[in-house]
Amino acid sequence: MTSLVSARNVSKSFGALHAVDDVSFDIEKGRIMGLIGPNGAGKTTLLKAMLGLTDCQGSLSVLGLDPFRQRRELMQNICFIADVAVLPRWIRVDQLLDFLESVHPRFSRSRAEELLAKTDINSKSKVRELSKGMVTQLHLSIITAIDAKLLVLDEPTIGLDIIFRKEFYGNLLNDYFDGERTIIITTHQVEEIENLLTDVMFINHGKVVLDAKMDDIPEGYVELLTSGENVAKAQQFSPIYEREVFGKKVFTFEGVDRDQLTGLGELRTPDIADLFVAKVKGGSA
Amino acid sequence: MIRNQVALLRREFWEHRAIFFVPVIVAVLMVLTSLTGQVSIGDMEHIDIGILGATNMPDSARSAALSGLMIALSSTFVFAMWILTIFYSLDSLYAERKDRSILFWRSIPCSDFETVLSKLLTAVFVIPLVTFMVIVATHLLVLLNVTIWVDMRGGSVWHLIWSAAPFVDNWTATLVFLLALPLWLSPFIGWFLFVSAFTKRSPLLMAALPIVMLPLLEKILFDSAVFAETFFVRSVKMPLFAGLDNVEILFQEGDEFARLAEAKLSLLSLMDLGGFLINPQLWLGIIVCGLFTAAAIYVRRYRDES
Repeated sequence: MTSLVSARNVSKSFGALHAVDDVSFDIEKGRIMGLIGPNGAGKTTLLKAMLGLTDCQGSLSVLGLDPFRQRRELMQNICFIADVAVLPRWIRVDQLLDFLESVHPRFSRSRAEELLAKTDINSKSKVRELSKGMVTQLHLSIITAIDAKLLVLDEPTIGLDIIFRKEFYGNLLNDYFDGERTIIITTHQVEEIENLLTDVMFINHGKVVLDAKMDDIPEGYVELLTSGENVAKAQQFSPIYEREVFGKKVFTFEGVDRDQLTGLGELRTPDIADLFVAKVKGGSA
Repeated sequence: MIRNQVALLRREFWEHRAIFFVPVIVAVLMVLTSLTGQVSIGDMEHIDIGILGATNMPDSARSAALSGLMIALSSTFVFAMWILTIFYSLDSLYAERKDRSILFWRSIPCSDFETVLSKLLTAVFVIPLVTFMVIVATHLLVLLNVTIWVDMRGGSVWHLIWSAAPFVDNWTATLVFLLALPLWLSPFIGWFLFVSAFTKRSPLLMAALPIVMLPLLEKILFDSAVFAETFFVRSVKMPLFAGLDNVEILFQEGDEFARLAEAKLSLLSLMDLGGFLINPQLWLGIIVCGLFTAAAIYVRRYRDES
């Protein structure tokens, strides 16, 4: 596997604030990586560094390029949706297609038109006349029509209702993702993208708290639902986090063999949201 | 990349409809004024064209009169064009930040250099060229209107108007003037682009503040007027006309008017384009514009918008 993004000791500070603090990771080709962290954790700063929108310390390479210094070349192979609200409101849909056709060597107008034909978007409409959901559809359609190696989505569905969110991710998988392309995505609504991720990375206070393949999570992490005398036994295995649900204790373990916990209660693989809370809260406790 | 530049220039034209609408609105007002004028004197059937002096004046004077009409029409456009250029330059890098679409524009494989360049080129070339085309159309429409009026009174329209109006000379001179003006005023344009790139609010105020405050402070602190004179000379004294200022030329009377008539009202012969192009002040201004533009590119590239 070739790594598409490679970060070694990447840092970015704003004054005394270490937005990204000595981070190292690799993202391989053909993966869908979820970048998850609380507000102000440094997700957006890290994405901006990868997109060449901000400079950073350390060594960062995206598609073999230095994103900040070779941003123009990089943008031929990267797409990003920073937020749905960023398409210029004055532009007409057909003008947008005209423009992209002229400046983007990898943009296929026919593909974009084909995708837009499936929506209610009129090519003579201005962006400001479209509903928020339609703007998202438009943005995703043009991005899908760009034959880029890497797609970066920063909170792409913020402010959208559930139907559009589901549709957005559905279209992303059906139209965009083909196993060759790579996607990096950040969102607050973790549960909604959980099933589409192949990799997950948690960020807190500018540091990577977890960097794992989704397939490896069941092996590395287990949740135990228990009560009564088993609670004390479970605590001996030093859980990374514990919480209470309906009077029962839920423990999250890292690197503890499931066999050792069998008999203490109900075992299950934590979902991403719970694991995130466990890692972030457990880590800081 | 020519292809990118053309696309970016087209984008400016789409985004800033005023580039087209401002001169067109001025043109509509001009043509309407000309029509109203014709209607209001429509009753005066007894007026002989000869009395108006059109038939019995020498050819050169008739040319001069027509050229005067054309200049009068053009000068309003020049004024409107400069106002438009100020507002366009101030908005060009500010609007995309205000509506956050800069994140979209920066996701496209166009460099910050190319993007800012497209805005400078719009201010320096596109706006004057569009204005020029609208001026030509306005000249033709107003003269057409006059033609109808003269024809209805039995005058020879070919002799009185169409063969007399110095189109080539007037239009060439107008085009040269329209293209020279933004070059001469380019330090202001560069400054406006820079302000547009960095200011968080009210670009007009931010841009005007130093232009007003610097001469004022200088006067108070040093009792001198270097800034005031620099700004003033730059604003009104474009060295394109040999010995005449661009503002004064519109208001020449007496001897100078005779000089215009002697030159058979060739506007081109009044211009000293060579002298203008080798004027150090022009190039100094262009360098200042280049520095401000480079600063605008730098700000757009390096500033974190989050």
